[in-house]
Amino acid sequence: MPKVSPGFAESLSKVEGTGKLGYCYQCSACVAECPAAQHCEGFNPREIVLASILGVADHLTEAGSVIWQCTTCYKCYERCPQGTHPIEVVTALKNVAFEKGNAPEGVVAVRDTVKEAGFIIVASDALEKRRAELGLESAPAAPAGDIKRLLE
Amino acid sequence: MAKAEASEYTLFLGCMIPLRYPQIEAAARKALPRVGVKVFDIEGFSCCPEPWSVKGADLADWLAIAMRNLAVGEKVGRDMLVLCNGCYSTLTEAAHIASDGSEAKEVAEKKLKSLKLTYAGKNKARHVAGVLSDMGPDAVAASITRPLEGLKVAVHHGCHLLRPAAVMGFDDPFEPARLEALVEALGAQVVRYEGYTDCCGKATQDAEASLTMASDKMAAMRAAGAHCLLTVCPACFEQFDLGQVEIKRKLGKDHKLATFHYLQLLALAQGFDATELGFKRHHVDVSGALAKIKK
Repeated sequence: MPKVSPGFAESLSKVEGTGKLGYCYQCSACVAECPAAQHCEGFNPREIVLASILGVADHLTEAGSVIWQCTTCYKCYERCPQGTHPIEVVTALKNVAFEKGNAPEGVVAVRDTVKEAGFIIVASDALEKRRAELGLESAPAAPAGDIKRLLE
Repeated sequence: MAKAEASEYTLFLGCMIPLRYPQIEAAARKALPRVGVKVFDIEGFSCCPEPWSVKGADLADWLAIAMRNLAVGEKVGRDMLVLCNGCYSTLTEAAHIASDGSEAKEVAEKKLKSLKLTYAGKNKARHVAGVLSDMGPDAVAASITRPLEGLKVAVHHGCHLLRPAAVMGFDDPFEPARLEALVEALGAQVVRYEGYTDCCGKATQDAEASLTMASDKMAAMRAAGAHCLLTVCPACFEQFDLGQVEIKRKLGKDHKLATFHYLQLLALAQGFDATELGFKRHHVDVSGALAKIKK
């Protein structure tokens, strides 16, 4: 039996519309055009919303969870007749997984690069050469110190 | 045709364009003034930040960085022009959250105060496709000296330009047409294809599914007769251009579909030489597509 966490839905960070989780009536409008549901094993936005409502979503915030298969295409957001916005539920679950240290390496790496460098990509000599070839000035400097302070 | 009225923006480049695809920045700096769009550079912008990983890690952190960028832009009193769907999505949604008082906003505002910054909600991000579309396809057409006649273009809008439509406000989320009209203004022919508002697949962490999504989309473009594909986002651009190298290796499909950012084709149609637009840095050869343009 899975562990039930009453109040789990209320604990999720409130992105646009996650507060309307309880209105979901499991119609599957979100599943029909979901690219992750079509292409990835085990991804189903309706089931993710249901697990979150019932408070049995621990498996979704463990390492290797299906939630990271979401492409963030927002089709479910547009198709949901109840304003539940499954993508925002997925994002809220990702936040829980990250806090538990269970986010994929690639996601953590992007987040850490932004924290350290202010950008997701760090400038290089090769890049500067290409910019010069195109008649562009050197790449803009990131306010790295500010971003580090914001995320501490 | 009527000359476009000049409009002024602060240029917000983000990360991918200046640091990985500078050819898109070069095209923007060449093409926009000719349509009457004047851009100004200011210091102090960071990553928008990226709306899948940074937002997926922590909503309040994502919002704080986005509101910092908006606050920095607000100080100079112009809207920010973006050339990327990711930047557009992050900055537009952040401005929306900042105005509707969600609890993440309070946390983000506190963080911003530590930098002595506040965002009053007076400026916003404008996507270059929205700006040009508002000026009208005629204003774009008036800047063209070498129409792209004969070139069949498949338009990939990218999810974050379109959805959620109530927040992004660019076009219909499932049947958009404004970007296509801007492509027709270049003299090119737009080809509609099955699934034209589908996702490029860039943001999923399932690597194989990601390639399949991009490959399926390009197969539909080819089936509709497209010579090339067009995006308005460097992330989608990467998924299709660099992605074709991996699709060939891992899925055994060679689509040979030249990939462009809208601004590159705009600059080309304005008469700029192909050698100035960085095409040689693309992973998929563009010469076949360019040869379709009637001389």
